[in-house]
Amino acid sequence: MPLLNEEIVEQVKQELADLAGSVRLVMFTQDFECMYCAETRQMVEEVVELSDQLTAEIYDFVADKEKADELGVDKIPAIVVIGAEDYGVRLYGIPSGYEFTSLLHAIRSVAAGEPELSEEGVKALAELTEPVHMQVFVTPTCPYCPQAVVLAHQMAIASPLVRADMVEATEFPQLAIKYQVMGVPRTVINETTYVEGAAPESMVLEKLREALGKAEE
Amino acid sequence: MELQLHVAPHEPEKASPKTEQLYDLLIIGGGPAGLTAAIYAGRARLKTLLLAGSFPGGQPVNTDLVENYLGFPDGVSGAELAQRFQRQAERFGAEVVPDEATEVDFSARPFTVRTPKAAYKAKTVLVATGAVPRRLGVPGENKFFGRGVSACATCDGFFYQGKKVVVVGGGDSAVDEAIFLTRFAREVTIIHRRDELRAAKIYQERAFANPKISVLWNSVVDEILGEQTVSGVRVHNVKTGESSIVETDGVFIYVGMVPETEMFVDQLELDEQGYVVSDRRQRTNVPGVFVAGDVQDPKYRQIVIAAGAGAIAALEAGHFLSEHSL
Repeated sequence: MPLLNEEIVEQVKQELADLAGSVRLVMFTQDFECMYCAETRQMVEEVVELSDQLTAEIYDFVADKEKADELGVDKIPAIVVIGAEDYGVRLYGIPSGYEFTSLLHAIRSVAAGEPELSEEGVKALAELTEPVHMQVFVTPTCPYCPQAVVLAHQMAIASPLVRADMVEATEFPQLAIKYQVMGVPRTVINETTYVEGAAPESMVLEKLREALGKAEE
Repeated sequence: MELQLHVAPHEPEKASPKTEQLYDLLIIGGGPAGLTAAIYAGRARLKTLLLAGSFPGGQPVNTDLVENYLGFPDGVSGAELAQRFQRQAERFGAEVVPDEATEVDFSARPFTVRTPKAAYKAKTVLVATGAVPRRLGVPGENKFFGRGVSACATCDGFFYQGKKVVVVGGGDSAVDEAIFLTRFAREVTIIHRRDELRAAKIYQERAFANPKISVLWNSVVDEILGEQTVSGVRVHNVKTGESSIVETDGVFIYVGMVPETEMFVDQLELDEQGYVVSDRRQRTNVPGVFVAGDVQDPKYRQIVIAAGAGAIAALEAGHFLSEHSL
């Protein structure tokens, strides 16, 4: 049975019409598939069917460990969205519910390779000298969450030093506990700095600077 | 298994509305009022732009299950309903974009509505900006917001598995969300300032029948307590004046709404609570500017009522345009 019903297929086709470039969805699962691994793989396989510009690559997290290490994938299910280059756009856990929008948005943005950010934002990110890791914790039933995920993904596209992960909290409860996630969206920057809620670009940039400042102390 | 999937349209290039275009009707707000108006306006062949803001769909999106909107005998998720509204609006030609209106000028015609990116001109405007959840305004609330204090049970309920939570409020939302939270929490206490709930009886029946739910009557929250995480709330009884502490891991706040009218303060007549003042034809004090939905409704706040008012407003905008040969 398909995961995407006819109605969704039509909407996705519209969203993915005229992609600006080709995109690879690199998906990691494993032989004995994890919770939602099978569904995530199926979702990837069905989505790539809806645009000529899309291809899927399915890897085994265990057997293809080298590939996982190369892309920095440390948990599954994982989707790495790669365009002309690997911009650092990742989704961990199934992007279902509202997060399906985040996946589609990531595909469109990566295809274009151009971040949808303000001029100041692009400039600030171009000046980064140290790596930044953003983890955006979400639940599939959170309508505000895609805003935070999309913003983090745009920042990853804007700077080669930024890697941005969507992390579906219900599938990685140990991480939710580790980062004290009691509400979503919650963005963790470089393990040290937190942003609550779907904050505007300027505030997230400020937190990003704060995170880098902490590292220097 | 069936997975819910949402597709929120986002096509900046295609969706980018034209600033040089003079719109017949510009709708500010993408909730049930605005989207219903867009359907009516589109069918009346009015050139219509809807600025949905950063949160398209409006408040229903936050509702797990809508059971009182006509045509869905088994209920429908608020998110799905909002999506269906939007698709229906677009089908009849309204341009729906996620831009957020930040400033309006109703002193000159055509009217101007600004977003951070552009300025739009329109012959008539519908204000349907809705309302946002009211906060308690007590110590600890800001400190713990997003970290133990929440206004979105559907978003954050998962994090309270096996825990104890309190829900502050006594209306439909408070009681409905308290019931929803029993899917996760082991114990839910509704803290309400009166001695009876305002929520619809069907919600009350369900809440009273649920062994996980209890109600703390006549009580007001004075402070949210905790060091790293929320540990409790300090409440006082409005009848006896007695103060006590209720232990809890989380606080969900549903104490009513505040209308989104900041940008209209010098532009439209507002009542003392900040709601836009309108007549029964959804007209404001500025001819050609209409209003619908929760931004003008302190009392009912129902999807069906917002939708109805949106329909009236669009029809009235049509009349206004033909009366003035615009």
